[in-house]
Amino acid sequence: MIEGLFNTGSLPVLERMVQFTSQRHKLLVNDIANVSTPGFVPTDVDPRKFQAVLAAAIDQRRQTQGGIYNGTIHPTDTEQMRFTDDTVQLAPSNSNDNILFHDGNNRSLESIMKDLAENTMAHNAGIEMIRNQMNLMDMAIRERV
Amino acid sequence: MFGSLDISTSALVAQRTRLNVIASNLANQHTVFDAEGNYSPYRRKFAVFAAGDPANGNDAGVHVRDIMEDDAPFRKIQVGVGNPLADKDGFMEVPNIDPMTEMVNALEATRAYEANITAAEATKSMMNSALRLLA
Amino acid sequence: MADPLGLISNIGATNPALMPKTQQTSGEASGPSFKQVLMQNIEQVNQLQQDAEKAIEDLATGRRDDVSSVMIAKEKADMAFKMLLQVRNKLMDAYSEIKDVRV
Repeated sequence: MIEGLFNTGSLPVLERMVQFTSQRHKLLVNDIANVSTPGFVPTDVDPRKFQAVLAAAIDQRRQTQGGIYNGTIHPTDTEQMRFTDDTVQLAPSNSNDNILFHDGNNRSLESIMKDLAENTMAHNAGIEMIRNQMNLMDMAIRERV
Repeated sequence: MFGSLDISTSALVAQRTRLNVIASNLANQHTVFDAEGNYSPYRRKFAVFAAGDPANGNDAGVHVRDIMEDDAPFRKIQVGVGNPLADKDGFMEVPNIDPMTEMVNALEATRAYEANITAAEATKSMMNSALRLLA
Repeated sequence: MADPLGLISNIGATNPALMPKTQQTSGEASGPSFKQVLMQNIEQVNQLQQDAEKAIEDLATGRRDDVSSVMIAKEKADMAFKMLLQVRNKLMDAYSEIKDVRV
């Protein structure tokens, strides 16, 4: 019963998304810190690949549960992302498709800042949605709106 | 919880050090005597960055590995043979510092500093929103 | 105002003047029973909640990118749930009152 409380609906997906955005944030902050370091190559993971893994896990859950949206999801590991019980471990790859500057660094400050903004917004949105879910369950348990 | 702002802070420190070095270059553009009073023109300095943050034992972040002196040759200006500092042809060596280059470097250091401030704000906003989960 | 649960038309006839003219006066129920209406509404709230959860999952996995309509769907589902919760509370209070009537 208690297990079932926390596997309902979109909670597993949102938890995984928030774990991913937290880990990716560290990568992006490191890239920004090294924007002037000669010879440094910025690293990143592709969020679209993460979304694809999550979508596959969700489809699998929908099939096995027959349309009732409950149960944990089991995302499959890729070479960039390893899913453990309570977090996602990222193995970033170098982004090699930017202009190479004269100091051997191929960062693109604008796209890194954009990635940072998107990541932060996705993280905050995920947290808000989790909070909303928890509030709803709290209301039902308390029997008070 | 305490390590998340270290990376951005290391970058802020490194960029500020770089800005200090640039300011020192600009201040000493015409310095030809060193601290003891010997004739020794000021050599342009520059900061060398490297990834990693040994002060905090972090693999991520950036630090100033070294402040090296530029060994480009000095500029020679003509002062006339009568000047006590001139060599036999009437030329004197002065520091080889170009204010335009230094200003451009200063702008870039400022830009990187601002980018890292934004990254630190993003970290703080994410932690705040996670705290609001419980509120 | 519309009567979503049909409670007023179907439970007792405490004030015949207020009842709609089309309603029968013999006392037999010819519309859906209270239980049916209640179950229908619970089903609706459940469906709204599941649709909202599905929308959120699709947003998180990248199949939708319109954040505002997902948020609005979730808000509607939450509002329906809160309404159902309050109705349930009122029903429980009414039942307690009736239970305490001394015969």
